[in-house]
Amino acid sequence: MQDSYREIFLSESQEYLDNMNGCLVKLEENPRDLNSLNEIFRCTHTMKGMSATMGYDKIAQISHQMEDLLDELRGQKKAVTSNIIDTLFAGVDLLEQLLQEVRLNQESKTDISACMEALKNLLLEEPPPGPSEEAGPLTRKTPFITLDEVEWTEVELIKFKEAKENGFNVFKIQITLSENCPMKEARAFLVITNLKRRGEILAAAPSLEALKEGRFDRSFLIVLAVKEKSEILQQELAGISEVDDVKVSSAEIKPRASSLSEPAHPQETASEPSAAATPSGGTGSAGAQTEQPSSYLKKIQSIRIPVQRLDKIMNLMGELAISKIRLVQVVQSLKIQELEEISFTLDHLTSALQNEIMQTRLLPVAYILDNFTRVVRDLARRKNKEIDLEITGSEIELDRVVLDGIGDPLIHLLRNAIDHGLETPEERKAKGKNPKGKISIQVTRQKGHISIEVADDGRGVDFAAVGKKAVEKGLIPEQEVSHLDEKRVLEILTMPGFSTAKEITDTSGRGVGLDVVKVKIESLGGRVDFETKIGLGTKFLLTLPLTLAIIKAMLVKVRQEILAVPLMNIRETIKVRPEEIKMVQHFEVINVRDEVIPVIRLEKELGISLNRTQETTGINEAIPLVIIEYEKKALALLVNQIIGEQDIVVKPLPSFVKKTKGIAGATILGDGRVALILDIMSLKN
Amino acid sequence: MARILIVDDALFMRQVLTTIFIAEGHEVCGEASNAKDGVEKYKTLKPDLVTMDIVMPMMEELDGIGAVKEIIRLDPKAKILVISAMSQQALVVEAIRLGAKDFLNKPVNPDRLKDTVRKILANP
Repeated sequence: MQDSYREIFLSESQEYLDNMNGCLVKLEENPRDLNSLNEIFRCTHTMKGMSATMGYDKIAQISHQMEDLLDELRGQKKAVTSNIIDTLFAGVDLLEQLLQEVRLNQESKTDISACMEALKNLLLEEPPPGPSEEAGPLTRKTPFITLDEVEWTEVELIKFKEAKENGFNVFKIQITLSENCPMKEARAFLVITNLKRRGEILAAAPSLEALKEGRFDRSFLIVLAVKEKSEILQQELAGISEVDDVKVSSAEIKPRASSLSEPAHPQETASEPSAAATPSGGTGSAGAQTEQPSSYLKKIQSIRIPVQRLDKIMNLMGELAISKIRLVQVVQSLKIQELEEISFTLDHLTSALQNEIMQTRLLPVAYILDNFTRVVRDLARRKNKEIDLEITGSEIELDRVVLDGIGDPLIHLLRNAIDHGLETPEERKAKGKNPKGKISIQVTRQKGHISIEVADDGRGVDFAAVGKKAVEKGLIPEQEVSHLDEKRVLEILTMPGFSTAKEITDTSGRGVGLDVVKVKIESLGGRVDFETKIGLGTKFLLTLPLTLAIIKAMLVKVRQEILAVPLMNIRETIKVRPEEIKMVQHFEVINVRDEVIPVIRLEKELGISLNRTQETTGINEAIPLVIIEYEKKALALLVNQIIGEQDIVVKPLPSFVKKTKGIAGATILGDGRVALILDIMSLKN
Repeated sequence: MARILIVDDALFMRQVLTTIFIAEGHEVCGEASNAKDGVEKYKTLKPDLVTMDIVMPMMEELDGIGAVKEIIRLDPKAKILVISAMSQQALVVEAIRLGAKDFLNKPVNPDRLKDTVRKILANP
């Protein structure tokens, strides 16, 4: 197949695999969960179809084998056992591996025989207790059938005579299906259904029942009473695909000993199909009686757009937003009524457009969280721990770039919780806790940002132990161990080099320590907080911006420079009189509603020098302060002027200026001027 | 040539079918990714032929079989070609019972598809 399908195949397959993983975990928890079972079945089924079409034989084989097994489970011919679940998981893993080979365009070297064998064995294991009706079809062969083989019952004989007397043509029709015809039962049914629309089937060999169950080789015989001529039947039947040969001839009866009563009573079978199949042609009323097959879960309906294109659109949108602001400003200064109206509309439209485009970049956190059930399950098994994973708020949406970035850090936090946080079931029992540990991931949306909390109810972090280890590694001086607090412990935990070699193997060779988590989250403009209680558990709190591309910011003026302070960090803005700023131990502080907050003079902090003459503020003039919050600590930033709130397009700084203290990036303002975006994190010290 | 509506939840299959149909000179007048949408599109587009994936997720109480039933109800003469995997014999039989004209197995063999479509269209 062409290459153009490959991309779709890959991304769609990946979706199916993720879905399968999630549902398998659910099924493991509740083996009676028919919805999950159906969903897994549907996924394997589609995978099989797609991969076979693409010619990826191994994927097709594995998914086919899995599907067979799942079908047995669905039909409740087999019970869901842990062995089956494990094998299905192994199958999904193998599919993932095979998919990866396709992705990398590699010749497939993966050996699927072991997995195939395991799946097959499960299928063979303990044959279904019910009547083994399916054993028949392939073994019993009826190579060639003549009319003589039709065993007429009394009733059929009477019908035959009646039909003749009433002027019907009675034909014997011998139908031969093509060699290796797939699903010949259904094919035979299609032929029979077509014939029934024309007339009445008087007899069949093998019996209609046997035909429906596929108990025939390639050909079968039907005796039909119709008004039409043989040519019409011939033509109609030849028009059905997979029908190789049709022989229609007039039927004459050669009565035989009719003692054997065939169960295949034409009338019985004719009465069961819905109106659509009756010869009277009374279709349309289809008041069909049969229950619909089991329901399937809804699937997210979506279209695929390459990520680069979205980025490009976003970038253009940014430029457009800047030009718009500029235009609006110019128009305002011109004071032309008509132009103002146009610019007002334009303003609204661009805002709406910007909003929509932002939406296209958003994906629910479930996109990554759904895989975690599997991760936790596997890790818990390896560590012989019992764990309940509770995820809330997975429907909350996040910018794709942010989402991409937080997957690994979150997995690391999970591993951390499982490896170090949670005790073994025995330890937990001894402590009087539920032997099943609990990890919860809670996603909540706040104004302009989201927070993700990863909490366990394990043993908590032992400050003294952390301190000891840090001293051993020479990360902190020994005298500090006695007065460690949460903040300092988090700092130590996230120091590069604190992670031990043991942890690196635990994290399957990723070598990601908590330091990397912190660096990654901060590079996304977020932050990591931490809370722990000995014996009760540990909680990591990640705070992240909703998006990286356009953020809401407060524009402030510090001397001649315009700075943007991300709104997500701002608690409030206030104005104070100069004398309200007090000196405490060489630090300037301000008292806001009984809270003492350190004051930072941005001009000094960022080294913005005064050019030209010193234009100090008047003695009694109110001083604007922007109060920001970081790691539960407040800071008051002293600025010269607060300009206002605005959406800004974040333009990352080129790498050679990236490390500038206090500056996270830049943005272009409506008038074309560049404003620097304040980096709250680097101000905290 | 014929106007064809493709109903399949896998974008991949829709693409494959579309390519084959277009090469054959047909017009793919619509695509639907779920049963509900398939029925809606059938109503508005009135295609000469519908290909229907029989295993589709339930959408507003409607799955592949439900869609076949509904389309036949709306238009008893509708030409529905069921596309199914090997293991879905029971569903296919049900679809035929409801009035589907023919069925094909995945993986779809282009020649067989062309042949089947030709045969369905030839029959009144």
